[in-house]
Order: sequence, then C-alpha cells, then structure tokens
Amino acid sequence: MSGLDLLLALPALGAILVIALPVSSGRATQLAIGLATVVLALSVVAEIAVMRGPGGFRWQTDAAWIAPIGVRWRLGIDSLSAPLVVLTALLTWCCLVALLRRAPECGGRRGLVTLVLLIEAGSIGTFVALDLIVFFIFFELVLIPMWFVIANWGDEHDPVGRRRAATRFLVVTVIGSALVLVAFLMLRSSTGSFDLTVIARRAAGIDHGRQIVIAALFMVGFGAKIPLWPLHFWLPDAHSKAPTVGSVLLAGVLLKLGTYGLLRFWYDAVPAGAVEVAPYLGALGVVAIVYGALACLAQTDLKRMVAYSSIGHMGFVALAISTMTPQGLAAANFANVAHGAVTGLLFFFVGGLKDRVGSSEFSVLGRGLYTRSPHLAAVFAVAAMASLGLPGLAGFWGEMLAMLSAYSPNPALPRGTYLVFMVVAGVGVVLTTAYFVAAIRRLCQGAGASDALVDVAPDEWVAWSPLMVVTVGLGVAPMALLWSADSGAALVSGVIAR
Amino acid sequence: MPILYPLVVSSLLFAIGTYVVMARRHAVLVLMGVELMLNAVNLNLVTFDAWWHDRLDSGQVLALFTIAIAAAEIGLGLAIVLVVFRSHSHINVDELRELADRDEAPIR
Amino acid sequence: MTALLVVILPLLGAVAALAIGHRVDWAAPLAGVVSCGAAWLCSLAVAIGHVGHAAASVLGPYEIRTGGIPLQASLYVDQLSASMLVLATTVATLVQIYSVAYLRGDPRYPSYAALVCLFTAAMALVVTADDLFVLLVGWEVMGACSYFLISHHWELPEARAGAVKAFLMTRLGDVGLLFGIFVVGQAAGTYRISGIVEAVGAGRISSGQATAATLLLLCGVVGKSAQFPLHSWLPDAMPGPTPISALIHAATMVAAGVFLVARLLPLFELSSVTMTLLAVIATVTMLGSALMACVAPDLKRVLAWSTVSQLSYMFAALSIGGYTAGVLHLLSHGAFKALLFLAAGSVIHAVGTQRLDSMGGLRSSMPVTFVTMTIGFAALAGLPPFVGFFSKDAILGEAADTAFHGQQGVRPWLVLVVGLVVAALTAGYSTRAWLLIFFGRRHAAAGAVEPHEPGWLILGPLVFLATISTVGGAAVVAPGFLGVQADPWHLAMMVVSGLVVVSATAFTASEWWRLDGRDPARLLGRLRPALEGELGFDRGVLATVVRPVGFLSATVVTNESRIIEPYPRGAGSGAQWAGRLLRFLHNGDAQRYVIAVVLGAVAVAVVVGVVQ
Repeated sequence: MSGLDLLLALPALGAILVIALPVSSGRATQLAIGLATVVLALSVVAEIAVMRGPGGFRWQTDAAWIAPIGVRWRLGIDSLSAPLVVLTALLTWCCLVALLRRAPECGGRRGLVTLVLLIEAGSIGTFVALDLIVFFIFFELVLIPMWFVIANWGDEHDPVGRRRAATRFLVVTVIGSALVLVAFLMLRSSTGSFDLTVIARRAAGIDHGRQIVIAALFMVGFGAKIPLWPLHFWLPDAHSKAPTVGSVLLAGVLLKLGTYGLLRFWYDAVPAGAVEVAPYLGALGVVAIVYGALACLAQTDLKRMVAYSSIGHMGFVALAISTMTPQGLAAANFANVAHGAVTGLLFFFVGGLKDRVGSSEFSVLGRGLYTRSPHLAAVFAVAAMASLGLPGLAGFWGEMLAMLSAYSPNPALPRGTYLVFMVVAGVGVVLTTAYFVAAIRRLCQGAGASDALVDVAPDEWVAWSPLMVVTVGLGVAPMALLWSADSGAALVSGVIAR
Repeated sequence: MPILYPLVVSSLLFAIGTYVVMARRHAVLVLMGVELMLNAVNLNLVTFDAWWHDRLDSGQVLALFTIAIAAAEIGLGLAIVLVVFRSHSHINVDELRELADRDEAPIR
Repeated sequence: MTALLVVILPLLGAVAALAIGHRVDWAAPLAGVVSCGAAWLCSLAVAIGHVGHAAASVLGPYEIRTGGIPLQASLYVDQLSASMLVLATTVATLVQIYSVAYLRGDPRYPSYAALVCLFTAAMALVVTADDLFVLLVGWEVMGACSYFLISHHWELPEARAGAVKAFLMTRLGDVGLLFGIFVVGQAAGTYRISGIVEAVGAGRISSGQATAATLLLLCGVVGKSAQFPLHSWLPDAMPGPTPISALIHAATMVAAGVFLVARLLPLFELSSVTMTLLAVIATVTMLGSALMACVAPDLKRVLAWSTVSQLSYMFAALSIGGYTAGVLHLLSHGAFKALLFLAAGSVIHAVGTQRLDSMGGLRSSMPVTFVTMTIGFAALAGLPPFVGFFSKDAILGEAADTAFHGQQGVRPWLVLVVGLVVAALTAGYSTRAWLLIFFGRRHAAAGAVEPHEPGWLILGPLVFLATISTVGGAAVVAPGFLGVQADPWHLAMMVVSGLVVVSATAFTASEWWRLDGRDPARLLGRLRPALEGELGFDRGVLATVVRPVGFLSATVVTNESRIIEPYPRGAGSGAQWAGRLLRFLHNGDAQRYVIAVVLGAVAVAVVVGVVQ
C-alpha cells in the first residue's frame, strides 16, 4: 500500500466515520479536521518526494482490479498533479475549519462534512489516477457529493433555485464527461490499454485524424467542467446558490479537474491531434477572459461577480494550455493553483460577508466597509489585488506566463493568431482591474457607513490565513511552483518532434 | 418425423397464447395465455435439441429451466390476481390503469 | 548587500506599522520614520560606494525557471541606481517625518505609514532591479500603493474617482510594458537589463525588434510618467494627502518612467522611430501641461501640471540622447518638487483650502514657508542660482548642441524651441502661483482662525529640501557625476534661458501689478476657459472608452440572460415535451403494451427479412 492509497483512504474513511460514529456533529467535525490535517501533511510529503525525485511518476501503485476489461488500480503522482493534490488538501482543511463554528442553516452539518471529505477523496483520486477508467470513476465521484452540497445546503432563501442550479451543474458536467468517456474508449481501441503511461508511449502510433477527434472530444468534454466559454452558463448559478464551502471547493478544486484533465491527456496522450485543435481552445480562452471581465463589470451581486471572474481566470489557463509549450504547461499549472487559493479566499470573504449581512447584493451590502469592518475589507483588498494580477501576489505569475507563452507558442501553431490572443488577453487584464477596482470602490469605500459589522473572527482567521499565506507566498516566491517548469520540457518536446 | 410438425404445433400454440394475452380481459385467462406461449417455446427447444443431437442437451436443460420459471411465475401471477381481486373486486386487466404515467408537479 | 537592505527595511517597517499600529498610537509613525530613515542611511552608504567611477555591483542572480528563458532575480546598482535610491529614500523619510505632524490623529495612520513604506521598498526595487520582471513587480506594487494612497480620504468622491482613474490608466500602460518586456526578452535571450544592454552593444538586437520593444515599453513609461495621452490621471490624483503627492506624484513614482528609459537608453537609441515619437510626446505634453498649469485654479493642480511638464523635459532630453541632462533634471526636480508639495501642504493646512483665489498675503504670517516655497518656485522657474536652473539649462544646452552640431534632424530643434517656450511659461505660472499665495490681499472668508506657521516636524523637511535646492546646483553640475563625461556648462544657453526666464517672471509680476492683484491667468483671454476644461480630454476618454466598455458589459449581461440562458432552459423543456409525447403510450393498459411488443417484433422481423 503506497502513500497514495493512504491519501485516498483517509478522507474516505473519515467520511464513513463522520456519518457513522455516534458522537455530536461538533466532535465529528473535529475528527474530520484531524484527518484532513494528516492528509494535508501527507500531500506535502508527496510534493517533496516528487520535488526531490528524478522526475516522472512517484509513489506508483499497480494492482489488478477489473481484469476482464484490463482495468488496473494504477496511481502515481508527478510534478503536474502534486501541487493540485496539495491545493485540494489545503482547501478541504480550510473548509472543514470554517465549518467548525458556522455551518449553513439548512441541512445538518454532519452530512456536509461527510460530503466535503468525499469530494476531497474523489478529487485527489482524479489527480493521481493513471488508469483512464480509475480517472473517470473518480472524476464522476466528485459530482454527486457536489450536487448534494448545492441542492441541500445552498441558498436557504431559494430552495427551487438552488436545486435547479445543482441539477444544471450536474447535467452539463455529466454530458461533458460522457464525451470524455467516448474519447477514453477511442484511446483504448487505438492503443489497446487504459494505462496512461502505456498510452503515452504508444501515442505516436495513433492515427492522426483519430487524434484530432479525441483531442476535440477532450476539449469539449473537459471544457464543460473548466468551464470554457460558451459552456460556462452553469457556473454563476452554481456559485451563487452554493454554500460558502461549496463555492470554495467548486472554484478551487472542481474547476481544476477539467484543466488538469485537459493538460494531462492533451499533452500525454494525443499531442499531435491537440496541436490541430489548440488554436480553437486558445480563442475560446481569450473570449472567456474578455467576456468574463465584461460580465463582471455589470454585476450587481458580489458572489456572481467572483464567479464570473473565475471564468476569466480559467480563460488564462485555457490560453496557456493551448500554446503547447513547456512554458504554457508551467503557466497553466501555476495559474491553477493561484486561482484556487485566491478565488477560495474571495469566496470565503463573500461567505463571511453573507453570514453577517444576509445577502451578497451590492445594494444590500452597503458601502464604507473600510470603517465598518477594517480587517474584512483588508482581506478583500488583498484578494482583489491578487486576483487582478498584481505582480508580487499569486495571480500575476500564472497570467504573465500564459501571455508570455502565447507570445512564443509551439512552432507547429500559427504565431500570428497567438499574438492576437496575447493582445486580447492584455485588454482582459485591464478590464479585470477595472471591475475589481470598481468593486472596492462600491463596497469598501464611500461615505454613509452606517452599521459596524463584526470583524473577522478568530476561527475565520484560522480558516483564511493559509490561503492568504499562499497568495502572498506564491507571489513573492514563484519558484515554489515553478521549480518543475523545465521538466515539462521533456513532456512537450515530444510534441514538437512529432 | 419431419421437423415441420412440432414447429407448426409450437407456432400454433404460441399464436393462440399471444392472442389470449392480447385479447382476453380476464387475468387468469391472460396467465393461461402466457403459459401457452412458454410451452410453445419449450416445444421448440426440445425439438431443436433432438434435431441437432446436441451433445450437452442444452435444449432439454433450458426447457426444464423454463418449466421451473413458469411454475414460479404462475404462482406469483395468481397471487397478484388474488390481491387485485381483493382490492378491486374484479380482475379485468384493461381496467387496471393505476400504473399509467400521470401529470404531477414537474421534476426540477 | 546594502542595496537589498534598502528594499527590505521599509518592508519590515510596513509589517510593523500594520501589526502594532492599531494598538499603540505612536507605533505606526515611529515604524515609518525609523524604517525609512534606516533605508536612507543604507542608501547613503550605497551611494558613497559609487561616488566617482566605481563599477556596478551586482547581487545574484537567483534563477527562476519558467519553461523558457528563465527569470534571473538580481540587483544591479550603478551610479544611476544609487542616486535614485538616495532621492527616493530621502524624500520618503522626509515625508514620513512630515506626516507625523500633518496626519496626526488620523485613524488610518497605520495603513498610511505601511503603504508609504511599501511604496519606498517598491521604488527601491525598481531602481535596483536587474531583471525586467523584478522591476515590473516593484513598478506595479508602486501603482497599487499609489492607488490606495490617493483614495486615503475615500469618503470624498473625487478621491475615489481619482484613484480608480490613476490605477486604470497606469495599468493600461503597464500591459504595453509587459508585452515590451516579452519582445525585448525574446530578442535578447534574457530579461536582465545588463544582458539586454550587452546584447545591444554586441549588435544582437535588430532595429526592427528594438522598435517594437521600445514602442511597447513606451506605453508603460507614458502611463507611469503621465505623458500624453495617458496624462490626465496625475492632476486627478491630487485629492490624496499632500505628502503623498510630494512622494509619489512628484519625486519618485512618476520618475520611474524616466528612470526606465534612462536605464534602457542604448536600446531606445537603436530605434529612431521611438526616439522621434518620444520627442513628439514630450514636447506636446510639455506645452499642453504648462498651459494648463497657467490657468489651474487649484494650487495642487498647478503643481501637478508642472510635474507633468517637467517630466516631459526629462523625456525630451532623453529623446535626443541627453542621458546626463535628463537624469540631472530628474534628481533636481525630485528635490524641488517635493519641497513645493510639502510647502503647499503647509499652506493648505493653514488656509484650509486648495483654491488659489482663497489664498493671498500669507508671507507675513508664514515666514518660513514663504522663504522655502519661494526657493522651490524659483528652482521650478529655473532662476539662477537654484538647482532647477542648472538642470534645465543642461537639457536646453544639450538640445542646442545636438541641433547645431548633431545629425538628428529636426528632433533637437523641436526640443530646443518648445523647451524655451515652456521655460517662459514655467516661469510665468510659477510667478502667478507664488504671487497669488503670498502677496495681495488676505481672504478672511476661509475662517476666523489666523493662518499660522506649522510645527518644526513640518518645517524641518522644508528647510532641508530648500537647502538642497539652493546648493544642489553646484553638486549636480560637478564633472563626472553619474559617471558620464559630459559638459553641462553651456554658457550661451545659460544666458539665453536666464533672460527668457527672468523676463517671463518680470512680465507676469508687472501684469499682476497692473491687474491690481487679480489672477494674471486672465491674460490668456478666450483660451482660458478651454484650458480650464483641460481641452475636453476627459470627456473624450469618457465618450470613446468608458461608455463603450459600459455598453459592452451591459450587452454581455443581456446576452447571458437572453441568448445563453435559453439554451439550458430549452434543453430542459425540450426533454419534458418529448417525455410528454411518449407518455401517451403509457396509459396503464398492460394489454396494449403487449400489442405494441408483438407489433414491434413483427416489424423487426419484416425489416430483417427485407434487408437480407
């Protein structure tokens, strides 16, 4: 039993214990936090093991599972998945800590804690799976708990709306994963294996036209999850109806499943086909950047605004992936993690505000937050600066590298097109600044501050501070994530060779 | 014996059974129709078993299997008929429409 | 290394001010003054090490992988960096001292002090960074600090609007800067400034690449240094606290653009297109902003427009290759403009308004402010023997030299002619502001309280800066300063520009006398209302940029609800309709199901038979 099995078993075990043990829900949450701490520590150990290792997959597991169709229990972790595993463990930990003192009004806390642990297990499983079917099972496993989280623990004022949002989220992503499954089966029939490492070795042998079809299927299938414009329509609803922890996990972890899958399978399995499809992905990415920013400018609800900002940030990741270069790989990986931390923080902030005021509408929230609740406002200011890509905070490096990789994309790609993408993304950066600055002006500044709000409570500091540390830390020391940037070269040089 | 005879008999049996199931209203008669159809199939199975001299006698085995299933089925069917008769005081199948899909609040 | 300390010490100060500033009253001012003061001492130490012709000292590089050309975090200190460090930390320290009195009792003091410290660290990073991305970090952090500090009084609508405008306009330019870094980095194979300069020297960068890169870099420079067409944020940034205007919007941040061009001057010189464009931008901005300064009714706005105009002088110098002249003017302007802003703060503090027409006759009640501000205005106008005279003369002399002896075509002529005209205008508006503040009748309307001199925490920095502005002239023209051999003495030009300045001053004063103490700006006649409206520039931006973006975002939201939203809804209701159709078959009649099955079986049999 390798460390990865343990990494999967612990949250799953935690979920069972939390629901089954006859203790109070507070105790159960404490137990869950304990387990999540162990998982976090273990994931950091895994990251260090990958960092010090010789490259390639570490901590591999390979056991027979469903022999008749050749499915094996194959797990492994590498420099692409390790940061995301750590991010998942960290965000889960923060969410559980946030649940310790303040749970949503509707639904029991015990169930929510169980679901959060299940989501953690499913997400980590997706990140470390090396077998296509294992990947798919975990990928789907995450959806169901998230459906329950949104439908049962969501906005307590709008039961119909939250159920609709949850169902819409489920249906769109399931349709996407159906396409992914088709692509997996096509891969299997072309290479005779479900094992990713085997497929990567035999990728050159796949018929070119078939590679293009598979790559396109991956783009649309994972695109529903990312979400890629114009498949994004489920996201704002799901975010605005979900409870705080749901939003944090949705933005911080679930969206990453899509980008991770796209990175993993485009670059490893069908690079030659992906090169043909990549410009379309890049185009959708930059459209998402500008479109998301424009949508944010006119939002009247803070939570919806943050949700739309995710669409723009994911557009940067899509642009980075579409460049098919080591730099694009590094950029996508960095932007993934940075977005997870920064947007997680923003959603925690919005959730905290919603707890206090009861709404996230700008008109209800009022103005002058700088005096009404200085620390809360400071958290927002920092998170907004990070999200708009201020150098020195986490958001900058991923987006800068995404644009830099668009400046010199893979030689097989049309450079002129990508220069246009880069310039459009630059316009998106300015628009992103505009809406965040407008939000600060609308929310934090302004006269007529009426009622004081409760400032950030100690338990909120505990839950939020890891994300703030990551936000500032990654901004000041980007090498913490970029150490593996050049190892992507080995992965991608194959693309150019073919 | 030419294979035609048993096949014609089984076809006739099956057709009669089908007609009974489709046309009669009385539930017990419908069950009898089902029995007729099953036995038509049994006859077919045995016929082909003999015709091909199957070494595993799979036709006969399956026929026995069908007989067992038919016994279970008729037991269950008669029990349902009894229950229906008690609750509805008739057993006309074309009047038993509780399983129809009706308008309810749309699922969201 | 000491230069690194200059970056780190203010950072520590910022952390300290934020951490304990809210608990203990004196902690935030103390942290600000001590950390900036320590940084000042360190930068003096750095500067002493670079006096004369000492070579550049380099710290690093620390390599950060990117999957492509790596970033090489490193510090590079030469004489330019050292003098900029001294300028930045000196003004920052003085501003911290000044603010102790100026903002006493302000509940937002801790965040204010922390932001000033953070700003100082960022400026130090910009002037010492060797890697362009590290420079960009400092560059944009400065922008963010400026944004927060402009909106320090965020209950005022104009402070909020000014902050947003400043941030957006500079960030628009910064996107160009970012792309410029991409271009130059890919062309030179490194993002290190020293490496880029080396590549230029070795001829590894073609003129086309240099043109593309420098034009893009120029976007960022124009945005940060408030040149046309991204100039309008600087006057609107004036609702910020006055010490902030002194530090950020006069002495340091806006000078970062000039610094960057000076640093990369070899690259810029590869492209005559960029240099010509720079000269045109500089002269247009110089003239326009000097005219605006002549009519502005608000003291701080006058100073802001004069800053824009003086920055243009530096760009004009750089556009004709006058490295020494440009940098000299940058340093001397930093000193006297900080002085002017701080003195203006003292005046505003005493009078309670920024409007020039509510001031007047303050020379007797505020003697120290009067003397120091007079020195500042004299330096701005370019009167001998103050520092502004020498540095402005260096620029005009350089322009004359190049115009008469160089081969740069019409460019130096443009700089020379416009430079002389603007020198006259500068003298004019300086005199106007000086007269309106300190002479004439006193306005009692502002309040019953008699204006009085502030405490020595405010006057101390004024006196210090006034001393520098007076004796600094001798220092900046000392040969060999900045390590570049150039002759800053242009006697003929000194005479010409001195005459221009003196006559402009005298003319303004005599007209003021003739108008019986009324605003001499009325001499401009019908031009005046147009200039007061700033030539409709803001309205133009509103109509061509802001409104269309607002329209687009409204369109997007409509699109979301009217065009995208119907798809999922349509899919849902389509499925429901299909289900309703199929439901007709499910009426509960089991026999009908059987009939359907039989018919289906027959149909399948027929189809199979036909196909075969």
